[in-house]
Amino acid sequence: MDLENASARLAPRSPWQAVDLGTRLFRRWAWPVIRTWLAFTLIPYGLLLWLATSQEAWWPLLLFWWLKPLWERPLLAWYSHALFAEELSLRQLFRRWPRYALPGLFAQLTWRRFSPSRSFNTPVWQLEGARGQQLNQRLQVLHRAPSNRSWLMTVVMIHLEQFMSFALMALVYMLVPWQLNLELSDWFFEESNLQSLMASVCLYLAMCITEPLYVACGFSLYLNKRTWLEGWDLQLGLTRIGKARAGTSAALALLVGALLLPTPPAQAQATLPADTKDEQQQVIELLAGEDYMPFDTFTYREWKDQDEDSEDSSIWETLWKKLFEWLTNSESRASTDKPFSIPSGLLWGIVWAVFAGVVVWLLLKVVNQMGFRLPGRQPQNAIPTHVAGLDIRRQSLPDDIASAVNACLQAEDIRGALSLLLRASLATLLQRYPVPLAAGSTEQHCLRTLRQHHGSTPALQFLGDLINAWVRTAWAHRPVQAAEVKALLSRWQSLGQAETAHG
Amino acid sequence: MTSPSTLADATQLAQGIEQRLNQVLIGQQQVVREVLIALIGGGHVLIEGVPGLGKTLLVRSLAKVLELDFNRIQFTPDLMPTDVTGHAMYDQKTEQFRIRRGPAFTQLLLADEINRAPAKTQAALLEVMQERQITIEGKAFSLQEPYMVLATQNPLDQEGTYPLPEAELDRFLFKVMIDYPAHHDETRLVNMVLDGTIRASLDVDSLSPVTDGPGLLAMRQLSDGILIDEQVLDYALRIVRTTRDFAGLSHGASPRASIAVARAARVHALFEGRDFVTPDDIQQVARPVLRHRIQLSADAEIEGQTPESVLSRLLDQVEAPRQ
Repeated sequence: MDLENASARLAPRSPWQAVDLGTRLFRRWAWPVIRTWLAFTLIPYGLLLWLATSQEAWWPLLLFWWLKPLWERPLLAWYSHALFAEELSLRQLFRRWPRYALPGLFAQLTWRRFSPSRSFNTPVWQLEGARGQQLNQRLQVLHRAPSNRSWLMTVVMIHLEQFMSFALMALVYMLVPWQLNLELSDWFFEESNLQSLMASVCLYLAMCITEPLYVACGFSLYLNKRTWLEGWDLQLGLTRIGKARAGTSAALALLVGALLLPTPPAQAQATLPADTKDEQQQVIELLAGEDYMPFDTFTYREWKDQDEDSEDSSIWETLWKKLFEWLTNSESRASTDKPFSIPSGLLWGIVWAVFAGVVVWLLLKVVNQMGFRLPGRQPQNAIPTHVAGLDIRRQSLPDDIASAVNACLQAEDIRGALSLLLRASLATLLQRYPVPLAAGSTEQHCLRTLRQHHGSTPALQFLGDLINAWVRTAWAHRPVQAAEVKALLSRWQSLGQAETAHG
Repeated sequence: MTSPSTLADATQLAQGIEQRLNQVLIGQQQVVREVLIALIGGGHVLIEGVPGLGKTLLVRSLAKVLELDFNRIQFTPDLMPTDVTGHAMYDQKTEQFRIRRGPAFTQLLLADEINRAPAKTQAALLEVMQERQITIEGKAFSLQEPYMVLATQNPLDQEGTYPLPEAELDRFLFKVMIDYPAHHDETRLVNMVLDGTIRASLDVDSLSPVTDGPGLLAMRQLSDGILIDEQVLDYALRIVRTTRDFAGLSHGASPRASIAVARAARVHALFEGRDFVTPDDIQQVARPVLRHRIQLSADAEIEGQTPESVLSRLLDQVEAPRQ
């Protein structure tokens, strides 16, 4: 990598200035990178879109989205060469594809797919060719504080992509003649092939802009971080001085060595010759220049509770504070001293566990929505506690139903007797034949549901007769005779004995 | 013409009308039943469905089977109230104002695509539906009973329509959803048209009357005597009252809905041959009575819920009457 050939000025910048540089890179090479994007993605996207439309499936478009790291590789290859004055042709990009696209791709498409720093990390695989332990150490070094803000840039890009695609959809909607009677809300709430197709095309068009921009910004963040860490600006400055003073390179090397040695300045000044002093002065001026010593002053303001320092804060507050401090300290410790210390891993473990939980929850929800049933999981029909307003729980019933019914009959309370018998019958039958019933289920609905699920058994025939007697008594105000209730009671008893005998 | 004197006669007659209509309108048994309940119960019906499902055929068949007058108004954006009710015009020969009666002067009025007309024209039907009279130039004209408005609206093509105001919606006893017939019903329909059993055009000449206006009024009178137990009536009221404070609903049903449920449940019991109303009758009529009287909350609409799904949930949650 010849830094002197770089098309951009490599100087230490703040993360947002680096993102700004990324946008400048994109603006300068907009057409070549968009062309590269189209060359590598148009046909795959067209095929997947056709598949999605013809099969009315959502997974082809999800697949395209999932493969984004793959589509971004040619863009990064193009940028990385263009920055050093070598603009690759499409033919070259296709020919070199296995070389730059495959390293680290599996990781990026699997466990690192949701990394918010994708565009920042990709150059480590693609350009540096790091792998294994070396890769992890390299990433650890690049992600050391101060933060490179690459995750925040990803968040911004996601929003930009969505806004642009919605804006395009709105534009299409506005350009559609009103005679077609298209409602904008329908585009979001009512699915149709045409609408899905239009939305997908709009999203792709938005990606034609956002993806090259995203890669450029991530790449410039990466360059910026390396400039900070490796002092590329110093290297360039010294090289320039070296060239200007051709023939005195050895003296320059000595000078740099002298500067880096812990020699007292006065003594160094005294021992160096006059030419060397000039060189030293130039280097000091160089280092003091705006480009090389961009010291910034930051002022942070934060809300502080007036009672924060008071000692009567609650136990929970104290615990939260301690946990937060511990996490913060462990993160800073991990980022400076111990790259793989346990607290950092723990923190990431929690994040990934939460993420995995969300993914599993979403999958279960999708599976549930699509009507699939997990193996070994049988639907459980909760036994209702009330049917038709009747409490059918065992504990609500008397121990001896027959005596209680007879007592009601002796008191000429036909309704009471039938109500009791109906409750007891439903409680028994629903224990034996569980069916989904709600509080609003009427007697007839209960009977219909039981028959639908279990056919016409003697027990359900008895229940049908009992419900008829109940309906006549309760709703038609034509109470049945006591003898009929007794007959029903004896049928219920004999059914109970038969059920006991069978099982 | 047959006029029932007992409840059993009325049941037989109602089922006869239903059977006759089902022969013409294939695969729409639920629609036929609900329209007949509304007719016998003295209410009006709002029918919602895409074109081509036999709405006009249903009304014409109804008019023919019951020997009632029938008029049809196609509602359009330029339709004026006087085009519906009629107006007074100056007769130069007699030098007097003469009342020109509009198409609303009939017994069965089909208001086709009612939501295509502006609010003032829709409002012209308010008096007709509620008071069964039409006022022209300050003079009220009573309409001949039985009288029924069957309004239709198309769930598609909402551009340029005027949604019916709540006050007018409330005056419809039922909102009936007419959907595509099932596959086997549609096959039967096409075969019947192809072999000439029925004509593809709206030909109802082959239908013979089953009863007439007085017969229908007698059925209504008999249905009024059907017993509703206090608990069952309370159940109907609890269902309606729950709509006013139920998750997913921003606007519930009015007391007019409670009356409608009770009245319709009685006619439903008549169809079932019973002289008393059961909670099942209430459940059967609750959906068509309530679906146009409730308003989904914004959250529920965004979640993709429909009045049907919310009503199903509501009916599951309201406890059936306890004894």
